[in-house]
Amino acid sequence: MTRAVWCEMLKIINEIGGITLFILEVLKTWKCSLSKTFPLILEQISLVGFRSLTTVLFSGFFVGAILVIQFQLMLSQYDATSLLGGLNTSATIREIGPLIISFLLAGKVGAYTAAELGTMRVTEQIDAIRCLGTNPMEYLIVPRFVAIVVCSLLLLVFGLMVGIIGSMLIASILYNINTLQYLQSVPRFTDVWSITGGIFKSFVYGIIVASVCTYKGYNTSGGAKGVGIAVTQSAIYTNLFIVFANSFTSFLLESFQRFFTALTSGGIAL
Amino acid sequence: MIVFENIYKSFGSKKVLDGVSFTVQTGEILFILGKSGMGKSVTLKNLVGLLKPESGKVKVDQYTVNELQEDKLSEVRKICGMVFQHPALLDSLTNYQNVAFGLQEWTQDKARQRVLECLKLVHLDESILLKKPPEISYGMQKRVSIARTIAPGPRYLLFDEPTTALDPITTNAINDLILELSRTLKVTSLVVSHDMGCAMKIADRILVLDQGKILALGTVEEIKKHPAPLIQDFLSEALSPPAHLARDNDTSSVV
Repeated sequence: MTRAVWCEMLKIINEIGGITLFILEVLKTWKCSLSKTFPLILEQISLVGFRSLTTVLFSGFFVGAILVIQFQLMLSQYDATSLLGGLNTSATIREIGPLIISFLLAGKVGAYTAAELGTMRVTEQIDAIRCLGTNPMEYLIVPRFVAIVVCSLLLLVFGLMVGIIGSMLIASILYNINTLQYLQSVPRFTDVWSITGGIFKSFVYGIIVASVCTYKGYNTSGGAKGVGIAVTQSAIYTNLFIVFANSFTSFLLESFQRFFTALTSGGIAL
Repeated sequence: MIVFENIYKSFGSKKVLDGVSFTVQTGEILFILGKSGMGKSVTLKNLVGLLKPESGKVKVDQYTVNELQEDKLSEVRKICGMVFQHPALLDSLTNYQNVAFGLQEWTQDKARQRVLECLKLVHLDESILLKKPPEISYGMQKRVSIARTIAPGPRYLLFDEPTTALDPITTNAINDLILELSRTLKVTSLVVSHDMGCAMKIADRILVLDQGKILALGTVEEIKKHPAPLIQDFLSEALSPPAHLARDNDTSSVV
């Protein structure tokens, strides 16, 4: 039992090492071929964005609706429904929005990317690209990698907007809380830190989805079975790493916020 | 000229190439035959730097391929065009874009002209150019992939099992195409195959690999006389009539 857990831990550490080296390789390639990859990146952004927008909008609306119902249940016990808008918006921007959108991105675009690259690997398309004098990292990986990271930020904006609209709508229909009432408490809970935190988390999750899925797809071996394994592993590791990163970024952001607040209020002497 | 000097390559504990040395003369068609997993494709991949041998030297003209860094390998890949076992065409591009893939440094007009030339050489017409690979037959995809390989004008053509998964008629057509291209373009060709019949038809020399070592290397006539059981098996398989004809003959003799 202990041995199995230890083996699993080693496997995860090994994957993290491989993915880190892969990210460095992507950055190195991108730096050397900025102008060449730019049109390919734009093409991928339009593909990835278009592929995920509908799903993100639908999910964003219902996530907003679900949160309103849950918060209303709790707040009504303390007669504090006036705080519904603030709490709901803050939770959506800080935590739920980036998390749900990254999970959706992993499921939709991440799995697609891993399967596409994996198939290209086992059918020798990647070798053919190399033999025709093109660097596959430059032609295939960098555009997909950058597009996924950029799209995770763009989709966050759209998802949050629709989520907040959805929660306002449900609050108004189910609990008779009008839009003005709902928005009144928003500034109490949602500040620059919430928005920065949400964007930062979304950026980190975007990097995780992009790196794990392109890495797994690019390093596929073993025919159709290998593609299946690559897609499954990319889904498992993406979700696992996002959850790890969520705890880490939450802790980091909170510590940074405390430090910065103490610094500006004169609590810490430099 | 291509020279393999004492090449060793293994995957894990399995030795795939065990001290392989041979030379491919300029302008000849050399067939590499052998059973599955005997290192035929690995030999070709060593030649274009997709794999590196553990020891030994792979030389193409003035280049020692296994000593080159990835960025310098593009020089070798310009002169060695490789046709893969799968057509390996990019599904997201049209057939035109696929054939023109290796011509990115050419002007648009010149590239277009070259694509049309190559298409003619592989006996395809222009109607397929705007289609994507999945919209044409597998045999046609193979031809497009050959056109893509010859487009940049390589001096060496490497074919990795070019007739895999093709029907007998298309197989013959592709084999004729290999011979035709080798003669028309005056290139040196290395063909990896299981098909002794086809090798006897178009090869100048045949190399037989077994257990990672060279079992035989010589002209078709020399190979025919070789006593090794593996080669005799290959020969009898190539010379035996198709199964349905053999069955018909058996039936008639019984009657």
